Amino acid sequence: MFEMTIFLYLFFFCQHFTMLLLLLYICATKLFGFIFKCIGLKRKTAEEYDKGSIIKNPNVPHNPSLYKKPFVESFEETPLMVAVLTYMGYGILTIFGYLRDFLRQWNIEKRHIARERDEQKDFVPLYQDFENFYNRNLYIRIRDNWNRPVCSVPGPKMDLIERSTPNYNWTFEYTGRVLKDVLNLGSYNYLGFAENKGPCADAAIEATQAYGVGVGSTRCEMGNLDIHEELEQLVARFLGVESSMAFGMGFATNSMNIPALTGKGCLILSDELNHASLVLGARLSSSTIRVFKHNNMQSLEKLLRDAIVHGQPRTHRPWKKILIVVEGIYSMEGSIVRLPEIIALKKHYKAYLYLDEAHSIGALGPNGKGVVDYFGLDPKDVDIMMGTFTKSFGAAGGYIGGKKELIDYLRCHSHSAVYATSMSPPVAQQIITSMKIIMGEDGTTLGADRLRQLHENTTYFRRKLHDMGLIIYGNEDSPVIPMMLYMPAKIGAFGRQMLKKNIGIVGVGFPATPIIESRARFCVSAAHTREMLNTALDAINEVGDLLQLKYSRRERPLPSLGWMSDESLLKD
Amino acid sequence: MGLSECWKQLSWIYYQYLLVTALYMLEPWERTVFNSLLVSVGAMAVYTCYVFMPQHIMAILHYFEVVQ
Repeated sequence: MFEMTIFLYLFFFCQHFTMLLLLLYICATKLFGFIFKCIGLKRKTAEEYDKGSIIKNPNVPHNPSLYKKPFVESFEETPLMVAVLTYMGYGILTIFGYLRDFLRQWNIEKRHIARERDEQKDFVPLYQDFENFYNRNLYIRIRDNWNRPVCSVPGPKMDLIERSTPNYNWTFEYTGRVLKDVLNLGSYNYLGFAENKGPCADAAIEATQAYGVGVGSTRCEMGNLDIHEELEQLVARFLGVESSMAFGMGFATNSMNIPALTGKGCLILSDELNHASLVLGARLSSSTIRVFKHNNMQSLEKLLRDAIVHGQPRTHRPWKKILIVVEGIYSMEGSIVRLPEIIALKKHYKAYLYLDEAHSIGALGPNGKGVVDYFGLDPKDVDIMMGTFTKSFGAAGGYIGGKKELIDYLRCHSHSAVYATSMSPPVAQQIITSMKIIMGEDGTTLGADRLRQLHENTTYFRRKLHDMGLIIYGNEDSPVIPMMLYMPAKIGAFGRQMLKKNIGIVGVGFPATPIIESRARFCVSAAHTREMLNTALDAINEVGDLLQLKYSRRERPLPSLGWMSDESLLKD
Repeated sequence: MGLSECWKQLSWIYYQYLLVTALYMLEPWERTVFNSLLVSVGAMAVYTCYVFMPQHIMAILHYFEVVQ
């Protein structure tokens, strides 16, 4: 007892002594600082060091003069309790994963997965890394939420084939039933052009009857049809650039053209959350790649200044060119790029800009011309405008637009143009028809109606989800809406519960997002009517209460006065 | 009627427990293993409290000189 008392006294004394020392140190530094300031010996502040930089304060995210309308993005922080419980859930799953791997290794349990053959047991192991562990023990347990076979046109409603699994998702069997009219909140169908009737489908049928479906050659050899030339001139007119080129596959557009544009001795500054195609293209080009924090202009500016001041790593020669690679809308976050600031930076530091508008072309802007239109900027400021036709035009393929010299260079030097088959004629015709509808050149107001409907749907859906108390990421104007789920079991549970209510959603987990930030991603379409959205919102509300998904800690408005909240949405 | 309400509420609470601990994704025999481990550890903690709590309380009271 006596020893314990002495120990306790010593412990408290040491604790208080260190705290006193800390206090003394802080007072001394402040005192000296005050004395030095009075004398006139000042240290330079951070602003004075960065005297030449043009992005001043990171907390005020933009120069108000550069943005013509308010730029509202929100990424609410993960609540601490939720993060702790998510880690705990992953810990339990990992322990059981090790247990199951042990049982499989010792043949106590039947093995369904790929494994090395017995003759290869002394080779370097193929399936021991974390990705394969995660695949075997976490992904496969809830795998029935992905790869669901769709047996109709993936428009606002679709038909799914029902599957059952006798052995916990290792193999699937068809039950023979088809789930009809499942509400589709996962397809990238922003303007509703994924349809099998209407002017686009009729034009595509005529093109098939005229040209066939296969082209049978690459663009450089015999695969250059007049429909491709028409498409490229139309795309150039749509974007407001001098010239453009269309490719058969959107992923290949990025990964095969960035190597043609940059090489050794060039610098690529790419955003943290860029798509895999951009990362692959940057790596294939063998340029130096530096990554800046997501949508953070201070980080980008610091990298630009360091690159110009210090040059290439060992020789300190100036970089041959500096290419900034960003996306229009980031589909996992729902955030829109800060384009006015990037263009100001690029002009100031004389770098080039590569803008990937896969999700934003057709979906943003008053005329549907993408993120450049949305901010009201000049398309000639962006050196390389890339995009895909998959999302808003209901087709497949990608394009690159820019100056005539650039596109003529790409026609000869791009891998995709030289080696890959060119775009199929009915697909090209679908793009031509849908683009004319969006521009209003077919004589109807269908394009303008769809753009307005998409904007209304986006605002309505986001407002209602926000008011329910769910955590939604991203910009208020982006039609991609990620909703946070956090816990791994809730990804599976949410998908299954929504399918029971006849709604199909896409859940996203670890390799595509950080490990605790798993989410469900909704893609709003112009083809969704208000009733469909209301059905979806009621279902999300019920499932959100059932699964306790309403993590948001913001203040919520009162649920009454429905007529007043609807009116405030129609102010435009 | 009160009993079925009670049963539904308990069932919902068990569902939340399955979701938070990620047992929802595991097969039934794994859930049994985890639940029995948890119940046995909990039972051991309760038993230890029951056996040793009087001694602990007497020691504290003795330290603060409330009882000799």
